[in-house]
Amino acid sequence: MSSPLADMEITTARERVAAKHKHPVNQLFHDEATLGERVADKASAGIGSWWFLGIQSALIVVWVFVNTVEFFTHKWDLYPFILLNLMFSIQAAFTGPVLLLSGNRQAQKDRLRLEHTAEVAETAEKATLQILEEIERNTETTLKVLEHLKKRRDSKSPAGAPS
Amino acid sequence: MAQADAPESHAIVHRLRVKHRNPNSDHKHPVNVAHYDDAPLSARIADRLAAAMGSWPFIITQSALLLIWVAINFYGLFVKRWDPYPFILLNLLLSLQATYAGPIVLLAGNRQSQKDRITLEHAADEADKGEEHITRILIEIKKNTDLTLQILSELEAESA
Repeated sequence: MSSPLADMEITTARERVAAKHKHPVNQLFHDEATLGERVADKASAGIGSWWFLGIQSALIVVWVFVNTVEFFTHKWDLYPFILLNLMFSIQAAFTGPVLLLSGNRQAQKDRLRLEHTAEVAETAEKATLQILEEIERNTETTLKVLEHLKKRRDSKSPAGAPS
Repeated sequence: MAQADAPESHAIVHRLRVKHRNPNSDHKHPVNVAHYDDAPLSARIADRLAAAMGSWPFIITQSALLLIWVAINFYGLFVKRWDPYPFILLNLLLSLQATYAGPIVLLAGNRQSQKDRITLEHAADEADKGEEHITRILIEIKKNTDLTLQILSELEAESA
């Protein structure tokens, strides 16, 4: 890391190492994501997975089972499972913000994607209009060539036509 | 600097990064302008709420408050316990938070889907414009080809 980074703003180390994605918006949001953004992505990917749903369901079943079936002697949360209720509330209290966190990130990505689209579209429109202009110029030139040929034929034909 | 690989793409990413860090920057895309720069008060409040609740400071503060609440009421630290185990009042507060989190999530989601709708409308407009350009180019090329064919027949007649 001792190399002289002339402009940290333009080339961050992450940016140079990563460059896995092709689209600049993906580069900014994934290859260059900050720690907070990475953790947010991991958290929403973790909660929104079948693994999470499966493990949560298994834990609920075990909790209710152990606290109701008489065979188990050590019970910590009897019917109507007030502590389990608290656990659900805690889960929901964190799921909401994480949901918003990932939603905000997605909205930001959408915002920048459109900004990038606007830039690209502007360049493309300019290029298209240039192409059109160039073809029009070509047509004009071709027209001049044709007129030139016609004039040449007309100036020749009086000599050859009567014969 | 050793960035001869693609300096132009770095410049693009850099421009995007500047906009990313400044959410209030003027927008270039008409859909962004309509959605952010011209947003009504209610939409701005919805965005603020979603941004505040969906942030690390919120999550960390909530975690800290939760731990303090449980610590005080479980071990009876510092003050008299106001919500002993199993923390029914805490449960109520967390449920209250979740009750508001749901609608706020939907508020943000609705706003996003509305944006998606106008994005598609704008894309359709742009596609029409692009098609018009392409049609004009095609007509122009056909005109050009016709002229070139006339030149060809002129030349053929001349050499016959």
